[in-house]
Amino acid sequence: MTVGSQVKGTVASLKGVKATLETFASLQTYSDNQDLLNNTCETLNSVIGSLERRVAELEMQEPQYKGL
Amino acid sequence: MPEWSIILLRVIGVLFLTLLLVRMPGRKSLSRLSPFELISVLVIGFTAALWSLNLIGDLLTIIIALAVWVLIPQIFSILSLKSKKFRDIYRGQETILVHQGKVLEEKLLREKLSPEDLLSMLRSNRVFNFADIEMAVLEPDGELNLLLRKEQQPLTPHSIGIPMLQEQAPQTVLIDGNIMEEKLAALGLNRHWLLTELIKLGVAVENVFMGQVDSAGQLYLDLFDDQIKVPQPTIKEMTRATLNKCQADLELFSLSSRADSAKKVYSDAARDIKNISTGLESLLSR
Repeated sequence: MTVGSQVKGTVASLKGVKATLETFASLQTYSDNQDLLNNTCETLNSVIGSLERRVAELEMQEPQYKGL
Repeated sequence: MPEWSIILLRVIGVLFLTLLLVRMPGRKSLSRLSPFELISVLVIGFTAALWSLNLIGDLLTIIIALAVWVLIPQIFSILSLKSKKFRDIYRGQETILVHQGKVLEEKLLREKLSPEDLLSMLRSNRVFNFADIEMAVLEPDGELNLLLRKEQQPLTPHSIGIPMLQEQAPQTVLIDGNIMEEKLAALGLNRHWLLTELIKLGVAVENVFMGQVDSAGQLYLDLFDDQIKVPQPTIKEMTRATLNKCQADLELFSLSSRADSAKKVYSDAARDIKNISTGLESLLSR
C-alpha cells in the first residue's frame, strides 16, 4: 500500500464517522447535544478537507497511483 | 330468604362500598396515611365487617357511622391542605435528630426514641457512624431520611467536575410484537425504519418480546426465544474505536513523512481528531 492509499483509507473512515455523527445529531432532542455534534461534524469536515488536499498533493507526486 | 344468602348479599355489598370508601383519601399508600386516617380506615373496615355478618345495628345506624368516619377525615385532610397550622397539628412536623454530625438528645427524648433506636434507623440507611451525617430528619410518618456530609457522599460526575451531556430516556418501541407508533414518532422515526432494522438483524417482528431505541437510534431487542442471540448494537463503540484508529494513523503518517508541511497537516489533523474524541467521550460511552 502506498502512502496515498493509506491516507485515502483514513479519509474514508473519517467520512464514515461523520455520517454516523450526523445521524446521531438528527435524533437528539437536547439542543446542547445537537450543537456539540454539529460543531464536531464541522471540525471533521475541515480535517477531511485538509487531508483531501494532501491526497491531491500525493497524487501529483505519484501519478501512477492516482484514483482509488 | 335463608340467613346465609342475606349475609352473602351483605358481604358483597359491603365489599364494593368499602372499595369506594377506602380509595377516598387519594393516591396515598397506606404507610403514608396520618395516624388519624389509618384509624378511620380501620374503623370503616371493622364496622363494615360487623354489619355484613349481621352482628350489629340496622342499616341506618351503620350508614350514619360510616358517613361520619369517612367525611370527618376527608374534611380534616382538605383543611390540612388549606392551612399550614392545621397541617402541622394533623400530620405532625418533621424533627431533626442529627445535625452536622451531632446527635440532638433533647429531640430524641421528645420523640421517645432510645439511642439504640436511632442507631438502628441509621443502620437501615446504611450509615454506621453518626459523625458522617450532615442532617438526619425524622419524618412525621416515622421514617428517617438523612443527608451525608459532603466527603461521605457518593461520587457523581458533577462532584468531580466531569461535564456530562443530557441523554433522553430510551423509548420502548416494540412490545409483544406490537409496534408502538407514537413512541417511534417521539424519536422522529417510523415503522419502516424499525422494520428495516429488524431485517438487518434477521428477526421477524412477531418473535420480538421487547425492543427499545436509545438516544443514538440504536435498537436493543429481547426475543421470546432466549436461546437465540441477537447482536447488541455497537455503533457508539465502533465510532469511538474508528476515531481512535484514525488518530493513531494520522500520528503515524506525521512521523513517517519527511516534508515539514506534510508533517504539520497530519499532526494538526491528529490533534483535531483527539479533541473530537475527548469532546464526544460522554456521548459515546454507554
